[in-house]
Amino acid sequence: MLRISRILIHIVVLYIIFLIGDWIQQTWNLVVPGSVIGMLIFFVLLLSNVIKIKWIEEGTKIFVNHLTLFFIPATVGVINYFELFSGKGLLIVFIVLLSTAMVMVVSGLVTQWLMGKREVPHE
Amino acid sequence: MNSLFIGIISIVGTVTVYLLTWKLHKRIDSPITLPVFMGSIIIIIGLVIFDIPYDTYMIGGEWINQLLGPAVVALAYPLYQQRRLLKQLIYPVLGGTLVGAIVGVFSGMIIAIWTGVEDYIIYSLIPKSVTTPVSMVITDSIGGVMSLAAVFVVIAGIGGAIMSPFIFKLFNIKHVYGRGVGMGSASHAIGTAQAMESSQLEGSVSTIAMVLSAIAVSIIAPMMVFLFM
Repeated sequence: MLRISRILIHIVVLYIIFLIGDWIQQTWNLVVPGSVIGMLIFFVLLLSNVIKIKWIEEGTKIFVNHLTLFFIPATVGVINYFELFSGKGLLIVFIVLLSTAMVMVVSGLVTQWLMGKREVPHE
Repeated sequence: MNSLFIGIISIVGTVTVYLLTWKLHKRIDSPITLPVFMGSIIIIIGLVIFDIPYDTYMIGGEWINQLLGPAVVALAYPLYQQRRLLKQLIYPVLGGTLVGAIVGVFSGMIIAIWTGVEDYIIYSLIPKSVTTPVSMVITDSIGGVMSLAAVFVVIAGIGGAIMSPFIFKLFNIKHVYGRGVGMGSASHAIGTAQAMESSQLEGSVSTIAMVLSAIAVSIIAPMMVFLFM
């Protein structure tokens, strides 16, 4: 019971950071989603030791490990778009795959190129 | 039946299906058993069999949806865990991820425009290379459909993981950092899981790329939409 309430508090902290990010986004009319701003805030708070990771590690870990749960309901919404996949579906899937391959090639090559001759650590 | 009751049933149902598929995925490690894939299909079949409209299911689903925001915030944690590696590799990894993010947003959008895909689908596929919760909030902000975005993200993830050995061979991407960034930038968490199997280091680099790419795409996507759509 103690563990559950601790985790709930951790989640509330994450939620508050999200709300702050959302507030910033709306106040300055930014294009970046409030939750992503919240992520950056959380990262800075962790780096600067304002929030010690130990304080909220338990809940955060559960969130990260079970991220999938939070987007299953929205994914199920594809139920309303089935006719789409019978029509142009194949073309769209092809576009997604082609673009994905392009990202992988370019980001991999650019990183490799920027690394230059730097030593590759072996494990 | 009142809506509170329906809400509780759909929450309990979703969590149960998720936990079952999560356990299954731990036992049978295949893209098909990924909870987002298998779990969503099971729930869709359930809704179809019992003739439950999506809106009714979302009475409870909306509650879980609410947690997408803090879930995105929590992604700072894996990045924080890799902070030493991040500091060490900041330029090559950031450079590769940024160029990848631009290519991903731009290529998806332009090819879709050329081939005459409807606008709302274009908006939904633009953020396909970033992890689902972030891609959903990006899609939502530029006018796409969250559930379509989720499907495209899964396609990019599984597709990228399958294509990666060929791509790395064909384009001579041998460097562990190059591979890690390629996996994380193009195929987010699914790619990262596969990178993790190659080596701990490749997985860590992929984790960094995945989170950085999510931030980059959330800035680049709205700008590109503003410029080209």
